[in-house]
Amino acid sequence: MIHPRIIYRILGILLLIEAGILLACSLFPIFLGENDLFGFIMGALVTTASGLVFLLAGRKTGHKEFGMTRRDGYIVVASSWLLFSVFGSLPYLISGYITNFTDAYFETISGFTTTGATIIKDVEILPHGLLFWRSLTQWIGGLGIVFFTVVVLPVFGVGETQLFAAEAIGPRRGKLHPRIGISGRWILTVYLIISILCTVALKCCGMSMFDSVNHALCTAATGGFSTKNASIAYFNSRSIEYVITIFMFISGINYGLLFFVAFKGKVHKLLEDTEFKWYVLVILIFTAIVGISLFISTPYDAADSLRNALFHVTAIITTTGFTTTDYTLWPPFIWMIIGLCMYMGACAGSTSGGMKAIRLAILIKTMRNEFHRILHPNAVIPVRINGKVIPQSTRQSVLTFSIFFLALVFFGWFFYLAIGVDITDAYGTSLSCLSNIGLTIGDHGCNIPWDDMPTLGKWFSTFLMVIGRLEIFAVLLLLTPSFWKHR
Amino acid sequence: MRIVIAGAGNVGTHLAKLLSGENQDITLIDESEEKLGRLESNFDLMTIQDSPVSLRGLKEAGTGDADLFVAVTPDESRNLIACQLAHYLGAKKTVARIDNYEYLLPKNKEFFKSAGVNSLIYPEMLAASEIVAGMKLSWIRQWWEFAGGALVMMGVKLRENAMILDKPLSLLGNELPYHIVAILREGITIIPSGNDTMQAGDLVYFMTMKKHIPHIRKIAGKQELPDVRDVIIMGGSRIAIRTAQLMPDYMNLKIIESNLDRCNRLTELVDDRVMIINGDGRDPSLLTSEGISHTEAFVALTDNSETNILACLAAKRFGVTKTIAEVENIDYINMAEKLDIGTVINKKKIAASHIYQMMLDADVTNVKCLTFANADVAEFNVKEGARITRNQVKDISLPRGVTIGGLIRDKEAVLVTGNTTIQPGDHVVVFCLEGMIKTIEKFFN
Repeated sequence: MIHPRIIYRILGILLLIEAGILLACSLFPIFLGENDLFGFIMGALVTTASGLVFLLAGRKTGHKEFGMTRRDGYIVVASSWLLFSVFGSLPYLISGYITNFTDAYFETISGFTTTGATIIKDVEILPHGLLFWRSLTQWIGGLGIVFFTVVVLPVFGVGETQLFAAEAIGPRRGKLHPRIGISGRWILTVYLIISILCTVALKCCGMSMFDSVNHALCTAATGGFSTKNASIAYFNSRSIEYVITIFMFISGINYGLLFFVAFKGKVHKLLEDTEFKWYVLVILIFTAIVGISLFISTPYDAADSLRNALFHVTAIITTTGFTTTDYTLWPPFIWMIIGLCMYMGACAGSTSGGMKAIRLAILIKTMRNEFHRILHPNAVIPVRINGKVIPQSTRQSVLTFSIFFLALVFFGWFFYLAIGVDITDAYGTSLSCLSNIGLTIGDHGCNIPWDDMPTLGKWFSTFLMVIGRLEIFAVLLLLTPSFWKHR
Repeated sequence: MRIVIAGAGNVGTHLAKLLSGENQDITLIDESEEKLGRLESNFDLMTIQDSPVSLRGLKEAGTGDADLFVAVTPDESRNLIACQLAHYLGAKKTVARIDNYEYLLPKNKEFFKSAGVNSLIYPEMLAASEIVAGMKLSWIRQWWEFAGGALVMMGVKLRENAMILDKPLSLLGNELPYHIVAILREGITIIPSGNDTMQAGDLVYFMTMKKHIPHIRKIAGKQELPDVRDVIIMGGSRIAIRTAQLMPDYMNLKIIESNLDRCNRLTELVDDRVMIINGDGRDPSLLTSEGISHTEAFVALTDNSETNILACLAAKRFGVTKTIAEVENIDYINMAEKLDIGTVINKKKIAASHIYQMMLDADVTNVKCLTFANADVAEFNVKEGARITRNQVKDISLPRGVTIGGLIRDKEAVLVTGNTTIQPGDHVVVFCLEGMIKTIEKFFN
């Protein structure tokens, strides 16, 4: 059953919340006297009006709701990401800093999905308000638009469970508290604390307050938008690089585990977690490989090799996508390693994208089991995560997810090739968008050459970003005919 | 309120869904990932996949600061152990589901309390007593006593011959010896006002006193119905045995059971008044030869809900006036009602509403979940200065879907009309739509 009125009403409320956030951003132009005030005010007005239209369409749902179904949840989540991005692009458009809708929409969705690919050539000319809004889209999208708004303003009463389930699917279950609303608030608290600590740390390393806040928002969200054209390289500070590395790493950890560490002091829960171990291990191994090959093949000394390797491996695995240097100038062997990192992603239940470490762990353990099975045909071999046997159905959905992920990377590759993108760029762009990284590997440097991309390619990229952010099935489900049957 | 439920079987899941709708903090423990998987993504509750008798699992579920721990796995000894462990960990109150009549005896209550089990519930026993109550007053579909029997509420199905049809309630007269608290029509519960009428086929809930029951029997057109003397039970389940034990002496009981071994076992469990017959209860010729035509009540208690419904329909065609079916599939309950099966018994609902009653904070002593009407009945002791005492009932803006049936004042039962003023100290019986009890509590405290 699909209940259009419930969907309209929730979308209406979400849009009103977005209008409120836009209005809050207009404080920057009000106090700094910059020329993007009109963009924010108009954007907020249009969003409010649209929100009211949705509310009007969804009014009179009867005093006793029959509640949301799973289908409603999926529709709300997918359409809220699209709608949020449409209205979120208004400030760019109205203030005139981005002149066509495709580009503005692309920039916003790249923000909300925490991809961090930017279409703006010179971000440093943007006024403070727009820059902050750009970072804020990432921060909101980091935990999920619906999650964020539902937790901040618990106004729906019904359907929270369905909404959360539709936005964050994945092989990890386990709540922090029996009530999903309270679990959500705890997670948001962790998120806030990370962001504040990161801001303070960056400020201490000599960044300006405005830059600290923006970079902290984008780091905690593992997004990767920077207020500078050269990204982190602009600051040319080792301490800033290390601070950002550490916070990217933390933001890639499961937030539930972070909660237990920060509020309950249960550090052992984190250290004993299978997924966390894999996450750390993969980062260490890839850093070592990249570091050694940098040391051998480039003029970097040992410390620089290590720092560069650690920074970039962490930035890619957590799908943040900050850079300090153009790594495509490094030997092609390192491209390969970076390409591998792009698939992986950090932990499930964090703000990162990609396939997630837990899927990788289950996948590799399943593969190992296949060899055991050849030697011992009658053996019953389980896959264990945190000492618990993973049910067959979960293993199956992990395999399906991985195949879908690969298939989509290849589909994207072919699509970009078909519209005339270079072969390496096509591959890198496809993978980068699906994993929500924002950096690429290719002949044109680590930033995707969006100027040469046809309009169709930009739209396709936004599609890949949303698919990747919502872990594939939540979006593709809506494209299946059976979802819409049997109303 | 923090509630931990051990065992995600039928009772456990039903209870968890019921309570999560009430915004309680629910944690459900079970070993089976399959049973838990779908629950967490559809309901606002937490699931822990672990054994209900493992300390680690119980700790993880937060049993230590639980207000209520409910053990409803199929195995009674595990339930008792789980409750003891929960008590040891610090759960404030524990409830175990059991299968043994002995445990319920009042003299054992202290022992179980000292062992850390505060309450026991025995769904089969509860079901059996509902069946027996239903047979004692066969023209009544459902029957509740309040305040020790001073007030009764009963559900009666009205036929064409009822005397009160098609008249607005306000025209029925003023000082009526009854108060109509709800009407169930085609699966929809109506809390009636003065303009509503009763129609043939309605299931009407009367609140009244015991002395007025004959009057209601008359106006409902039920006088010519015979009292139940001969009973046939199909299926020798545990409920059947308990029913046989609880049945008054004047009734004659036959139990039809298809499994011969079970029949032999039944003969050991029940006394000589009960005749055990080996055969299929759906077989018309067997029913005829066992005298279905002069049987007043037919009770279907096999494991299979569909069989029970069909057998009751067949018995109706033989002219049995009272049919009772055990329907464990909750989705079938409304359907069974439409098919005119007299009383539907559902163990899960009975058990869940029994536990539900335990967790209500206010001075509620009896909440029953009505199987047919989507409604709850609750009793409140009115506190000093409660909002409900400030005016006459009709001038207090009670929420829609709530009606006050009657009250006990100085040990006298009083039926409530719009002009009644409720006083502190009154014991009030309230009828409300499902899940509204929390909302109306504040009127009485």
